[in-house]
Amino acid sequence: MKQIQMTKNPSFSLISTNKIIQLNDIWTSYDSKIFALEGINMSIDRGANYAIVGQSGSGKSTLLKLMNGMMIPSKGTIKIDYVTPNMNDKKFKKMMHTIGYIPQSLGLIKNITVLDNILIGALPRLNKLQSLFKQFPESEIKEAKRIMELVGLDGKENRKAYMLSGGEKRRVVIARALMQKPTILLADEIVSELDHVTAHEIMDLIADAQKRMNLTAIMVHHDIQLALEYANRVAVIKDGQKILEIGVEGDSIVDFQTGDMTNEEIMEMYYDDSKK
Amino acid sequence: MMTPKNNIIIGIIVALLVVTSYNIDANPFDFAEGIPNLAIILEEMVAVEPKYIPTALWAMFETIQMAFIGTVVGVVIALPLSMLAARNLNSKFVYAPIRALLAAIRTFPSILWAILFVIMVGLGPFAGVLAVIMYTIGFVAKLQYESIEAIDSDPVDAVSSIGVSKWQLIRYVVIPESAPHLLSQILYMFDYNIRQTSILGLVGAGGIGFYIINYIKFFEYGKAAIFMLVVLVTVLIIDWVSVKIRDKYIMKSQHGMEVTTK
Ligand SMILES: Nc1ncnc2c1ncn2[C@@H]1O[C@H](COP(=O)(O)OP(=O)(O)O)[C@@H](O)[C@H]1O
Ligand SMILES: [Mg+2]
Repeated sequence: MKQIQMTKNPSFSLISTNKIIQLNDIWTSYDSKIFALEGINMSIDRGANYAIVGQSGSGKSTLLKLMNGMMIPSKGTIKIDYVTPNMNDKKFKKMMHTIGYIPQSLGLIKNITVLDNILIGALPRLNKLQSLFKQFPESEIKEAKRIMELVGLDGKENRKAYMLSGGEKRRVVIARALMQKPTILLADEIVSELDHVTAHEIMDLIADAQKRMNLTAIMVHHDIQLALEYANRVAVIKDGQKILEIGVEGDSIVDFQTGDMTNEEIMEMYYDDSKK
Repeated sequence: MMTPKNNIIIGIIVALLVVTSYNIDANPFDFAEGIPNLAIILEEMVAVEPKYIPTALWAMFETIQMAFIGTVVGVVIALPLSMLAARNLNSKFVYAPIRALLAAIRTFPSILWAILFVIMVGLGPFAGVLAVIMYTIGFVAKLQYESIEAIDSDPVDAVSSIGVSKWQLIRYVVIPESAPHLLSQILYMFDYNIRQTSILGLVGAGGIGFYIINYIKFFEYGKAAIFMLVVLVTVLIIDWVSVKIRDKYIMKSQHGMEVTTK
């Protein structure tokens, strides 16, 4: 269906129109010796909910940092809408305005209010004078309040961020990202530390936002069950390599990487891996 | 503990103590002989006419005003300098010269700044205010760039990934994150400046110290002592008040900061 939509737009080439993110043989290292990622290939559909799972240290966070230009690969190419991510590049820096990135630590500013934290997402739209005097236009404040309602934070706008519960903190950072009017949302294990119910609430929230806005979500998860529940595709990373790419179709799990593994083989492979 | 090596070191220190005390004429017997003089001063203090007390209070008030202006202006100048001096916000070409400048400002004790400004602008409180400003710049800028460098890097990273400008990052993340420290630093500096402004008068830079040194010159120890007592009481009160303020506002926000995202 998406393909049909895209063909209407003549500026897109037919082959890769629906791929918003493409990683081609990506190798990365923090210190020249060891590679954190070893030859990752990934291609993500526009509008998809894409999940990345794997053990701690497997390279999930590194992948997200590459996608938002905070890191640059040592080898290989990444394209986000045909642009190579690099936060020092003017063209990409502009794209960053509409890439919501939520780090594992959330990155809330603790001593300011919920509303002020959310308005941060609108900073790229302010002119110099407005941002110097912290004069957000009325329309932006309205938008922030609308989003707060959407994520279930109404009435909490004047609460200081440090006073919030874990679930509420997630709602604030999601609202901050939505305030960016994002096309892409990158979220790093934002529900891993939450209880089952709250984690689902937060995931539902993101799924809902995805439906409203034409949003592509790339989310890192710890729990493969949760990932399969929400994502179209789940990439399993192990020691810097993508060992699996799976998705749910109907009642069964489909292997998109090799194309010939059965359901049981996939789960076995994953659970073997996570037991170690 | 008492190894031969330690004995030698202790011996050297004791010998140095004796030699240096002899050189500067520091005699413990003189000190003992001087104790009864305190009683004389106390007697003189009691004899001082009460009409001097309003004068002393007024002089103290002048001192507080000097400290206030010095602190406010000093902090206002120190803040942009601290932003430029922070390693996590600037390239080496920016922070290195600024840090060197600040270090140079700090090497001068405030009383030397006061002498310099008395020479420049003449006797009086203005010279003292200028000295306090310099001292405040040197110290607050250092305290402040250190707290900027110590702020949590997570919000900084998260917000820079939105692609905001550097000034927005400073305005919306760095300043709010380091603000709780700033308030306590300003209070500390004001408190400290009142104490040091009290002595700047000794070199003619206004304030209560100016009265004290003049009374001492004319052997009016009783009046000098009254004025010193006023300084002591004021400093105690200011200390007490700033502890209260710090408890009320700063402890609260720092408690908040301890609540982690987990
Ligand atoms: N800042 C860093 N400096 C050096 N090595 C790092 C840094 N961040 C991560 N690594 C290493 O890169 C690898 C992948 O890390 P990461 O992407 O954070 O894994 P994950 O998010 O899957 O837990 C790990 O071996 C980790 O030790
Ligand atoms: Mg991680």
